[in-house]
Amino acid sequence: MIERQTLKNLRAQLIFLIIVIIGWQVMSNSGMVNQLTFPSVTSIGHALVRGFTQENMAEYVLYSLSLLIRGLVIGILLAFVFSSFCMISRTVYSIYNMVTSICDLIPGVALIPIAMGWFGIGESVIIFIVVHGVIWPMSRSILGGFSGINRMYVEEGKIFGLKGARLITGVYLPATLGTLISGIRMGWARAWRGLIAIEMIFGTTGSGAGIGWYIFMKRTNLNYAGMFAALIVIILIGIIVEYLVFQVIERKTVVKWGMV
Amino acid sequence: MNHVRLQVERLTKNYRTSPDSADILSNLDLSVPEGEFLCILGPSGCGKTTLVRCIAGLEDYEGTIRVDGNTVTGPGPDRMMVFQDYNQLFPWKTVLKNVQYPMKVNGIRDKQELRSRAEEKLKMVNLQEYADYYPHQLSGGMKQRVAIARGLVMNPGILLMDEPFAALDAMTRNKLQAELRRIKEEENLTVIFITHNIQESIVLGDRIIMMDKGGRIKLDERNTIPKPVSPDSEGYGAMWRLFEDALGDTGAEG
Ligand SMILES: Nc1ncnc2c1ncn2[C@@H]1O[C@H](COP(=O)(O)OP(=O)(O)OP(=O)(O)O)[C@@H](O)[C@H]1O
Ligand SMILES: [Mg+2]
Repeated sequence: MIERQTLKNLRAQLIFLIIVIIGWQVMSNSGMVNQLTFPSVTSIGHALVRGFTQENMAEYVLYSLSLLIRGLVIGILLAFVFSSFCMISRTVYSIYNMVTSICDLIPGVALIPIAMGWFGIGESVIIFIVVHGVIWPMSRSILGGFSGINRMYVEEGKIFGLKGARLITGVYLPATLGTLISGIRMGWARAWRGLIAIEMIFGTTGSGAGIGWYIFMKRTNLNYAGMFAALIVIILIGIIVEYLVFQVIERKTVVKWGMV
Repeated sequence: MNHVRLQVERLTKNYRTSPDSADILSNLDLSVPEGEFLCILGPSGCGKTTLVRCIAGLEDYEGTIRVDGNTVTGPGPDRMMVFQDYNQLFPWKTVLKNVQYPMKVNGIRDKQELRSRAEEKLKMVNLQEYADYYPHQLSGGMKQRVAIARGLVMNPGILLMDEPFAALDAMTRNKLQAELRRIKEEENLTVIFITHNIQESIVLGDRIIMMDKGGRIKLDERNTIPKPVSPDSEGYGAMWRLFEDALGDTGAEG
């Protein structure tokens, strides 16, 4: 059920992309720019293929994703637990609200030296930074969703006999799922960007290296085509997560329920 | 005399939004026997919703409210509530799941029982074919019928209804009134039904109460007009006039 206008827009966007790619290729081959820092589309393509066939790019990507997912899961779960405690009393709520506002001001990267002191040089540092990136915005959207919930749903839940944790899982979570998904979307985007930056600074962890490190190594070799190839992979992952994860989840939940 | 289902004694409610806020209800007494369909009329803001919310256990109060002898200290499935709002069904559950949910909450796990009890109630409101629909796919009248089915599924001691038909068009409202009255007879329900509509209260109620602006009971009448009531029924005109005049004296505007 794609509307005509959407189809038209899609076509225009596609044509624009093709023009940019062709323009890029022409520029790169024209001799007007440095081919080293401005590699042609074909050489980026080659770098991409080489990355996957000879340089285990998939492993770098999967390693980054595994760190990210572990951090996301921990961050989201903690955000849920803390936010649920906030439902107990206004005092807990106001304290946690303050903690959230303060911690949200600290850039993850600034915590790396401290985290290294606490956890040594290993994966746990990166996961810690990812958790830090996710937990505060996620808490914000959970608390926002919970306090904006339609009171009638909560009262109905209580009439049916729900209390405490069951009220949260039975009413609060499904009733605010739309907000929660936006929160997770925001948390993921933040964590993914942050993760790549941290990998460049932090390097390998002993148990593996991620896509940020891959880009960094390409830079030391002045392999610009390789750097662009890694960027394309990062963009593709973003697209896959948006369309195959978030939009699918939304279609199977809030859209199906008529809650958007 | 029938078993007393609901006993309200010296009920006083003050929301205490400010130090000098007035009592919404003060020293209200009310007794409802099992199987009675009680309609409550009254001008806007007189405390009708407040009264049913106290009975539902959704507000704290002074005085006593007892249901089957047990003091009301909080909400529970023995006092199900049907709201005016169409959106009272959980949008994330299908019609069937909505009706089953109170049973699940109360520990009924048997799939067979869940299904048969929910389907029985859906049949009662003529919606058995819509079991797998989501609420947003239903009309307002259908949603209110599902809410009634859901309200009945735990066989509550009292069904509390706060203007459930007020937002419906006249034709749908008449249909739902007839349906509700039929179900009441079949199940011997005890119902407290709030309405603004005198005609509705005469069509539905075995007994009709009118509250005034101060949250006091101004009129308390038995409705002996044989069911089904129509405007041609004997005594309808007199009854209507009685409440219409009383409503004029309650301080209601217009
Ligand atoms: N949560 C609340 N906090 C403070 N005051 C309230 C609250 N709920 C209701 N009131 C006040 O209590 C009074 C009675 O309200 P209530 O909703 O019970 O009236 P009602 O008879 O149901 O009116 P309507 O017919 O318009 O639904 C009103 O003056 C209202 O402002
Ligand atoms: Mg009301």
